[in-house]
Amino acid sequence: MLPAIGEFALWISLPITLWGAVMAFLGGRWGRGDLVLSAERSVYAVFALLAVASAGIIAAFLTDRFDFWYVSNYSSRNLETYFKVSGLWAGQRGSLLFWALNLGFFSALAVWLNRKKNRDLMPWVSGVLLLVIAFFIGITLFITPPFERLPFTPQDGRGLNPQLQNYWMTIHPPTLYLGFTAFTIPFAFAIASLLSGRLDARWIEVTRKWILTSWFFLTLGIVFGMRWAYEELGWGGYWFWDPVENASLLPWIVATAFLHSVMIQESRGMLKIWNMALVCLTFIMTIFATFLTRSGLIESVHSFALSLEIAYAFLGFMGVTFAISAILILWRLPQLRSDRQFESFLSRESAFLLNNLVLLGAGFAVLWGTMFPLITEGITGSKVSVGPPFFNQVNIPIGLMLLALMGIGPVIAWRRASARNLKKNFLIPTAVGIGTGVVLWVMGVRHLYALLTFAIGVFVLWIIAVEFWKGTRARARIEGENLAIAFTHLVKRNRRRWGGYIVHVGVVVMFMGFAGAAFDREVRQSMVPGESVSITSAFGHTYTLTYEGLSTARAQNMWQWIALMRVERDGQPLGTMTTERRFYEAPPQPMTEVGIRSTAFEDLYVILSTLDEQVGMGNDPQFQRATFQVMVNPLVPWIWYGGLIIAIGTLIAMWPGGPVPQQRAGSTGATPGRRDDEKGPGDPGIGAGADGDRSSAEPARTPVGAAP
Amino acid sequence: MTFILGIVLATLVVFFILHPLVSGRSAPMDRSEEELTEAQHRKRIALFALRDVEYDYHAGKLDEDDYRKMKREIASEALEALAEEEQEWAARQGREAAEAEKRAATNGRVATIAGDSAVEDEIRALRSSLKEGLICRECGHPNPVGSRFCSACGSALAASPPAAPSGSPAGGSS
Repeated sequence: MLPAIGEFALWISLPITLWGAVMAFLGGRWGRGDLVLSAERSVYAVFALLAVASAGIIAAFLTDRFDFWYVSNYSSRNLETYFKVSGLWAGQRGSLLFWALNLGFFSALAVWLNRKKNRDLMPWVSGVLLLVIAFFIGITLFITPPFERLPFTPQDGRGLNPQLQNYWMTIHPPTLYLGFTAFTIPFAFAIASLLSGRLDARWIEVTRKWILTSWFFLTLGIVFGMRWAYEELGWGGYWFWDPVENASLLPWIVATAFLHSVMIQESRGMLKIWNMALVCLTFIMTIFATFLTRSGLIESVHSFALSLEIAYAFLGFMGVTFAISAILILWRLPQLRSDRQFESFLSRESAFLLNNLVLLGAGFAVLWGTMFPLITEGITGSKVSVGPPFFNQVNIPIGLMLLALMGIGPVIAWRRASARNLKKNFLIPTAVGIGTGVVLWVMGVRHLYALLTFAIGVFVLWIIAVEFWKGTRARARIEGENLAIAFTHLVKRNRRRWGGYIVHVGVVVMFMGFAGAAFDREVRQSMVPGESVSITSAFGHTYTLTYEGLSTARAQNMWQWIALMRVERDGQPLGTMTTERRFYEAPPQPMTEVGIRSTAFEDLYVILSTLDEQVGMGNDPQFQRATFQVMVNPLVPWIWYGGLIIAIGTLIAMWPGGPVPQQRAGSTGATPGRRDDEKGPGDPGIGAGADGDRSSAEPARTPVGAAP
Repeated sequence: MTFILGIVLATLVVFFILHPLVSGRSAPMDRSEEELTEAQHRKRIALFALRDVEYDYHAGKLDEDDYRKMKREIASEALEALAEEEQEWAARQGREAAEAEKRAATNGRVATIAGDSAVEDEIRALRSSLKEGLICRECGHPNPVGSRFCSACGSALAASPPAAPSGSPAGGSS
């Protein structure tokens, strides 16, 4: 019953969406509040209807309704229950509905959060959101119908791709989708402000918060995807520059550029056109990512079957979005122009601008590499594949430049910095960075990029640490607080600035993790029980793995062959680890389940590559012969630590409001650098953490004691 | 059963979205008074810029000459925004004259978002000090009305300021 109601809900959601969009635009144009209310209620209603539709799909999965094409292709009777729930996003048809559901959720949230604010923008915001939702519902209904029935009911489904039968399946796609879809909200606000001509600083404030939220989910989604690839795909890496990986990176890159350049607009009123373009581009990139994944035009581990209908639909949608954004920006160009100019090349503005250019350069390189096979196929008729070497060659130097800018930005002043001060501020951190490089060289590190990553990374960490130290010390001295409390208060009073620095620390740690790949070690050996293999880590110690034997187990949907390994490090026993080979029944397919033994500095990574053909024929050790691929991947755990630090930093930066003390009456003097704790809660600029990379608490008290 | 549930669902949804048109209920269409106006935003931007410059100077990222010069520039930007805000305020007061009875008496000045009075106070103090010529000649620091010495560098402030008006928000700085 629920699937049928779900299908019905999906069908009526389309006219409701279109009705709402029309009401929103008419209401906005004529200033009719009743029409706008009807439009906003349509947003809520569409979200509810999409939720019912999604519940219908999940119900169909849970009750093994194989008469549905989608269920029969992505499920089987013996599939674990939680994979049946995640069946909603396991395939093309369900995942587009899931996309629409996420978008509906964020749209409803945006309308609800703005029921009393930004009212002059909201009609247009609702209109844009509903049109985008209508596009996805339209695709779902007419091109990839999730509720399509088969003319017969199969006994069992074809099963879920074993690669997707992993707990990350329940985590990675939803996080990524939340990130992608949330980018629609800032886009809607941008279009709304262009349409309504209200191009003041407000839309930027709303937009920035939403971009930060989307960025948070997208970052997590990407890192979760890396972790999944590392655990499941069994090749020892986490990033393959796969087209769909790249596709998720593109909106991330553009959004990162926006998060930085928006600070120039906020503090200097400049780059309004640029920021508007970046917001629109971020949204277009999310659609582009969906297009790449859904059309199947480019081969990828993620892609779905080739579908030209979908390709044309998405291309058309992207084209229309691009054209509308460009026309609106051109139309409002006179209002977007800034009368201010960059005052100096040596300024934080310039550093931000450079950061933007470098980021977009990286974005372009990724886009080019991703599209190249498609372009060459179009021109020459033969497909050329662009692999990791191209992307690494281009992006590693760009990444290093960005890394360096993370250190340069914080210590360079707004507007104009003098060469003398630059020298003063950069001397010690640069010396520390170079010192790190020299020490590593002496220790035998010869890999250029790795050396640069560590040297620049330490340079950045040093600068950030000094910023934190200066701030904490000043605050402790002025407020008479101990250092721990002063530190907490410092971060709390200007969350965006210090949260941003914490994100940078996470990025540095992650980059160092990437650099660890330069020192990967690998051996491959065929063994029978009792034999050993040794591998020496880049840190100098040697692991010895002894193959103890093979056992077999039966799980709900597979047979497992589990190899037990005894692990020693420099002769010291560390215990045992297992690595598996699995044979799934539906669909019949073998998989490896990697054994990973993690320490703070490296992973011991063991893959059971092949089993003897006669495995299981008897107890003779010869029947248990297996080939193992053993790797020692230094610093890989730092990638996950870095991801965690980035998440924490982003949460600090985006956390709304907070227990900021009420403003004391008549307390402030003319000193512009007033103490931050004197701000009221309504001063979102700083107290609520919405402030940019701006002032902090400490300089407020200018030379103490100077006042009479 | 499924059919009936479907009909019920559709009816509920249609009633929910059409209700405003029938009942005449409507969503607010105008910017709330509690939101910042454009001039207020610009004023805040100027204020933040002042803080940035202070921070950069004290963190040793900015030379003293540049610091003074930039501070003067931003102060004049702040003043412009202030003038604009006052115009906005006056215009709004005019519009609200009809409801002045219940509003003006209680709310007084333009309603800003809760707690924004801190920024208000600060800028007002800044404005009066600029008008009263209380910018320190040594370091360019704007000082509150009534100060005899600069709160930033300690130099004596040359101009003898007029007495601060009663109720002036310009309290003593640190």
